[in-house]
Amino acid sequence: MSPILDHLPEFWQGLLVTLELTAASFAGAVVVGLAITAMRVGPVPVLRAIGTGYVETFQNLPLLVLLVLAVFGLPEIGIKAGLLATSMVVIALYEGAYIAEALRSGVNAIAKGQGEAARALGLTFGQSLRHVVLPQALRTVVQPIGNIFIALTMNTSLVAAVGVVDLTAAANRVNLVEAQPIPIFVGAGLAYAAVAAVAGLVTGRLERRLAVAR
Amino acid sequence: MVSMKRVAAVAAMSVLGLSACSGTDSAGSSAVPGAASGGGGDVLASAPVATAADILPGSTMEKIKKRGELIVGGSLDAPLLSQQNPATGEVEGFDADLGKALATYIIGKPKVKIVNSASETREALLSNGTVDVVFQTYTITPERAKQVAFAGPYYSSGLTIAVKKGTTGISSPQDLNGKTVIAGANTPAIPEIQKLAPQAKIITFGGDPECVQALKQDRGVAYVQDETLLVADAKKDPSIQVVGSPFTTDPYGIGLPHGDDQFKKFVNDWLTKIQSQGVWQKIWQNSLGTVVQGAAPTPPAIGSVPGS
Repeated sequence: MSPILDHLPEFWQGLLVTLELTAASFAGAVVVGLAITAMRVGPVPVLRAIGTGYVETFQNLPLLVLLVLAVFGLPEIGIKAGLLATSMVVIALYEGAYIAEALRSGVNAIAKGQGEAARALGLTFGQSLRHVVLPQALRTVVQPIGNIFIALTMNTSLVAAVGVVDLTAAANRVNLVEAQPIPIFVGAGLAYAAVAAVAGLVTGRLERRLAVAR
Repeated sequence: MVSMKRVAAVAAMSVLGLSACSGTDSAGSSAVPGAASGGGGDVLASAPVATAADILPGSTMEKIKKRGELIVGGSLDAPLLSQQNPATGEVEGFDADLGKALATYIIGKPKVKIVNSASETREALLSNGTVDVVFQTYTITPERAKQVAFAGPYYSSGLTIAVKKGTTGISSPQDLNGKTVIAGANTPAIPEIQKLAPQAKIITFGGDPECVQALKQDRGVAYVQDETLLVADAKKDPSIQVVGSPFTTDPYGIGLPHGDDQFKKFVNDWLTKIQSQGVWQKIWQNSLGTVVQGAAPTPPAIGSVPGS
């Protein structure tokens, strides 16, 4: 255990960056996912096509490719932001596609009659989405979104490849000095597992609390 | 509409990426020093071959000879040291040629299989027997020597600093304090910078090409890396320059399985032989010697470093 205990400050700093990255990217991904879902279930064919195109593009490109392209490609066309900020945006855009798919399945799970009733009451498309469809849809997809959150947490480890010192990069650096890969990476793995376990517990509770009695 | 723009941007980026790749590829053949010389074959023809008496029965050497192939842990992307030539598929460079020379010594022909290893996996690959030896700028340290054995050192290098041309005020590692410094992930540069310039902010990227790109895009003011790599980079790319002289001494060893003293002695004997016969010097001339000025350096004394 000593290779970890001797380097607790480095691990802690790396864990903070990982948590920061996870929280910010997840928040961004939820916003992107909601917008794309609204486009995909909406009545405008062009927006539906764009929504589908977005999801297909981001689900079919590896996150590492997107990160490397954004970090090294965008400065070539004059767009340059910090490494952490770039990574947050890229992960948010990428995971947004997955959230959009989860939300869409939630929307599809809502009985057609709900949307028809909302329209019969005179609600606009936006109003029926906001007040009738999405609140029910979100409740049915708490668990899938929790899974996406966990996957996102694990995916943040890829930012180590583009210069962000997250938990994985911190573990790599400690290993460089100590040459004890097994305890060091098991330690880092336990920290990721702890984040995932907390996320799993929270989604479990949320799901029970928000379940729609049918 | 925002998302349309994003899709367009992604498409533009991928096109950029593609053109950038093909650009380096076509330039690669002429810009990579040493690639055109192709003298590796002649050197290996004159490389020594072990006598039957040296290949002790039941030893690791005998196992390799029976297999007919030496399995080497190494890189495929280190210019001048161990880089795969995209045109021929051959791996070329100082480390790669030494691997071939060792294969010639054991088997009689330069038959080598390179397993792409990384600094996190080398110890494991050696101890579980996936590779026979590691030739990969493997700096000998006492910590590592607890898990693997090192023959050599066979070469001595050091870390130095590269900056974008025109940068002033950086000439020694102490000047890096308070600045953002680029380093290769999992290279000894990271602990060295932390020691000599504790206030420097270090950012790391996976490979040398990414680090150079990051330096050119101003992600950091300086790039700390092994001198040979930096000299090769600066020769390929006139927008960066190397400042000062190496500030560390890194003895490279040949990684061997821990505890196999017979094999270690065998490899050390081979090193002595190729150094006294001038094969080592010729391999150096064909690779690192194409960018470093002057004659081949004197190889470091075998066993001169703690851990070797």
